[in-house]
Amino acid sequence: MYASFLQIALLGTFFLIGVVSATAGRHAYAHFRPREDEDKPHRNTQQPVRLPTEVKEHLLEAAEVKFQTIINHSSAELEYDLKTTAAKLDSRLGKLGSEIVGEEMKRYRVDLEQLRKQTEANIENAQKDINAHQADLKARIDARRAELEAAMNAEITAEKQVLINLANSKLADAVASFLIETLGHDVDLGAQTAYLTAMLEEHKAEILKGISE
Amino acid sequence: MSLRLPGSVASSQDLRSLIMEVHEYANWYAHESVKAQVKAKVSTSSPTLSVAALELLRDWKADQQISAESLDQLIMTLEQYASNSPSMTITLAALPTSSLKTALVNWCRVNVAPNILVSFKFNTSLLGGMVVQCGSHIFDWSFKRKILENRKIFPEVLRRV
Repeated sequence: MYASFLQIALLGTFFLIGVVSATAGRHAYAHFRPREDEDKPHRNTQQPVRLPTEVKEHLLEAAEVKFQTIINHSSAELEYDLKTTAAKLDSRLGKLGSEIVGEEMKRYRVDLEQLRKQTEANIENAQKDINAHQADLKARIDARRAELEAAMNAEITAEKQVLINLANSKLADAVASFLIETLGHDVDLGAQTAYLTAMLEEHKAEILKGISE
Repeated sequence: MSLRLPGSVASSQDLRSLIMEVHEYANWYAHESVKAQVKAKVSTSSPTLSVAALELLRDWKADQQISAESLDQLIMTLEQYASNSPSMTITLAALPTSSLKTALVNWCRVNVAPNILVSFKFNTSLLGGMVVQCGSHIFDWSFKRKILENRKIFPEVLRRV
């Protein structure tokens, strides 16, 4: 912002220097090359004045001095005006810059304050969302954990029952094998005669049915 | 058919052996009858018969004199007996004694059928009891079967000990 104002001031300064240079150039051109139409009426209306050479030189010197004086004076005035204008421009530009910077700073502070408030509000909302999300996640995790614990307990119980059944089955097989292996020797059928007859009596109906079929 | 087999003739194999014995005896009897008719001086001793065969010949038409015809009738009756009689197989845990076989066969002929033929087998893995096969039916009343059927209660019994 400040740089743009400085550029504007410099451009104004260059413009004034250009104007002054153009004016000085025009005066110099008019002095060294006067227009013919200005001389002609004099030629036509007046007779040329025959001045002696010393007078002409004296007049020329006086004119040069006067012209130089005027040029110097004009240059001094122009310089003075230029300095004054530059000082004023500096002052104005400084003041304008200060005002602009002040306003910009004020607006910046306001915007900053608004942004800060908005950010705080956003952060607060985000914190609320995070808290709500955390609570939701915690509830879900707790529910899932309870579900997994229940499933794991059920699975452990089922596995335990399977192992118990397997152990019972193995034990039963072992006992049965032991009994079969142990009792398989020296079978005394004499002692079983009554038992065998009783068994036949008990299943007499089944035997008769089997024979009849 | 009024034939009553001795208790020692239990199976169809026993009956076949008995038929062969009677057949041999009938042949000898026929030869001896012919020799007697022609008054031949040479005679042969009668074939050795088992106790069951002797018992059968003694009981067969005890009120009549033994003749070639009666022996032929006996053989025919035995053949019919062998082909028509029901049969059953009893498997025991050991080789049965003759007394046990007789007791079981008598029981079967009194309670099941008077002309039933009973075959005996043995299988030591049965431990005790018996397996009875009647036609296509098999009844397993062995100790092994009972042990295997009740093996699930062994852990419970052991827990109570």
